[in-house]
Amino acid sequence: MARVSAGELSKLAVLFERHHRALFRYFVSMSRTREMAEDLVQDVFFRMLRYRSSYDPSRPFTAWMYQIARNAGIDQKRGGEVVGIEEYMERHAEPASSSPGPEEHASRGQNLNLLRRALDRLPRDKREILVLSRFQNMKYEQIGEILGCETGTVKVRVYRAMRALEQIYFALEKEKVS
Amino acid sequence: MTCEETKQLFADYWSDGLNGEDEIKLQEHLGACEGCRKEAERLGALWRDLGALPAEQPGPGLRSRFYDSLAAFRSGADDRFSQPSHRSPAKQMVWQIAAGIALLLAGVGAGYGLRPNQSPELSQLREEVANMRQLVALSLLQQQSASERLRGVSYALRAEPNDSEVLGALLDTVKRDSNVNVRLAAVDALHPFASSPATRNGILQALTKQDAPLVQVALIDLLVDLKIKQAEPELRQLLQNAGDAGVRQRAEWALENLQ
Amino acid sequence: MKKLTLLGLALAGALCAQDRLTLPFRDPNAPRKLNVDLFLGSVTVKGYEGRDAIIEYSGSDGFRGRRGAPEPPPAGMHRIGGGREPDISEDNNVITVKGGLWNLTGDLTIQVPVETSVTVKTMTGKSVTIDNISGEIEANNMNGEVNVTNASGSVVANSMNGKVVVSLNKVTPGKNMSFTTMNGTVDVTLPADTKATLKMRADNGDIYSDFDVTLGPRTAPEVKEEKTKSGRVRQRVVRAGTQQGTINGGGAEMQFTTFNGRILIHKK
Ligand SMILES: [Zn+2]
Repeated sequence: MARVSAGELSKLAVLFERHHRALFRYFVSMSRTREMAEDLVQDVFFRMLRYRSSYDPSRPFTAWMYQIARNAGIDQKRGGEVVGIEEYMERHAEPASSSPGPEEHASRGQNLNLLRRALDRLPRDKREILVLSRFQNMKYEQIGEILGCETGTVKVRVYRAMRALEQIYFALEKEKVS
Repeated sequence: MTCEETKQLFADYWSDGLNGEDEIKLQEHLGACEGCRKEAERLGALWRDLGALPAEQPGPGLRSRFYDSLAAFRSGADDRFSQPSHRSPAKQMVWQIAAGIALLLAGVGAGYGLRPNQSPELSQLREEVANMRQLVALSLLQQQSASERLRGVSYALRAEPNDSEVLGALLDTVKRDSNVNVRLAAVDALHPFASSPATRNGILQALTKQDAPLVQVALIDLLVDLKIKQAEPELRQLLQNAGDAGVRQRAEWALENLQ
Repeated sequence: MKKLTLLGLALAGALCAQDRLTLPFRDPNAPRKLNVDLFLGSVTVKGYEGRDAIIEYSGSDGFRGRRGAPEPPPAGMHRIGGGREPDISEDNNVITVKGGLWNLTGDLTIQVPVETSVTVKTMTGKSVTIDNISGEIEANNMNGEVNVTNASGSVVANSMNGKVVVSLNKVTPGKNMSFTTMNGTVDVTLPADTKATLKMRADNGDIYSDFDVTLGPRTAPEVKEEKTKSGRVRQRVVRAGTQQGTINGGGAEMQFTTFNGRILIHKK
């Protein structure tokens, strides 16, 4: 990576080959349209060129890259945000206070579609932390660096995001049944 | 531990990041508290399912658009971005091979030719030969020519399995050599060094850096052969992000195999 | 590791579209080397009876001229052309052609004296072709094929998504060689009297040769049982083993690897 910051434009292509798929997944999960995700991936690589002097080679490259990715995503004016969880829960069935039995667990594995929809309905910050930790397999320390918070805070937020995801998941499941 | 404290460990628990002490504390609490146990099971299952969601793959248009823009960028706008070039120190002559290596090679040959019972200082000679092999391997791995570096890898295969310098040079080659063929040969040459912890760590590091699919596959095979179970996060990463279908398939196989 | 360091973006020399440039190797009696490192574009390198490197670039138009005052030339270099095309430099009998990021359709043809060592790398070129070269040849094409014909000396060739076709008229004894691709056929022709130790591996394909190969050890393949849709159990090879062998009594190592494709080793 030091090469781009030293002005080696060509190495951008190597970085592209290495990271564009992961970035694409990040953006698809965050923006939910492929088109926009592809635009944003492209945008990130050219932002890396523009801001390459801000890269500190002693810090992890991916943290820097996702900082740029987040800014790119925030700058992009996004159309109608999907309803946040609190609002969603208010409008729909009561929270899943009754925990599901084992038979419900078994069917859950097969219902990845439902899980995907539940994830899409998570508020942006909760979705992001799950995307970074689960899809991008990032260490919590690294996520903390990207989001600008303590590692401990990241862990708590991962837990809360999982709780929220579960509630939406069950709400969607009930909706489907009824 | 309280329920509140227990839940703070969940994130680490799911991502296999708990240290032994916390793991025990967590299990103790889960054994005693049904509420937390149920929640850990439910959310843990959900966490696993999240990992199983297939990764969306970008269309082929993304790549061609990127390279188009790059070409346009280069031909037009780069005056603003290009910085003064840094000229490297004087380049070495490419074909220059130290005469010493040739001598060493001759020396190794002579060493092989000696019959054991004729030599009173057999063990010393053996050691010298081993040292020479090490030197030859180390010098060849530094050559400009890919063919010479491949020969260095062959020599490394004949080094002593506990030769940490040769191992270090091989790992360096796997991580940093500019030629795919050389990296691939170096991965295969790591098998005899299996017992060293440095090998295991080196393979994991190399895997995350590697972008040639052939070398990725070779590294995955090595992980399975050496039964390196802690490779799971790296393998999952490949399963999701590797561009080549063959690599993803092999990563999946390895994950099953390492369980 | 002593590797040629990248030149950066400053232009040591440059070519116009459809241009041709002749650059001498400084010392006609010392060994020569050509380094080509491109991201986009196909590359052809040909040996000819001459002393200079002749570099031709067939780019489409659409290149802009230099804007503003030209930079002073870097120490020890001279400016050659006037456009924005590949960077070309000569240093110690090593000619380096670096076309960082140029037009997608731009192809490069370079003629050099037959006895020259050649290293070519390209990322998205359709093909890398090297013909009539005697020396150490290294060819790497990420997304296209590699063709090496009428070669003497040694060849190390790799492609990611293309076939690798290599034909040697003469082999320098004792030189290691390697021919690998992830997705494609590996097709290598060697002189009939070549002495070599072969390491062959085709994960999803077969290996053929008309050489008299003395087979050596083979690591066992991994087989997995699978249920087909009709419910039958069938075995699928998930991982092929490496087959070793020797020709003409053995010699320097030659590696043949493909993940998806077959391996052909022809006798010339
Ligand atoms: Zn509890």
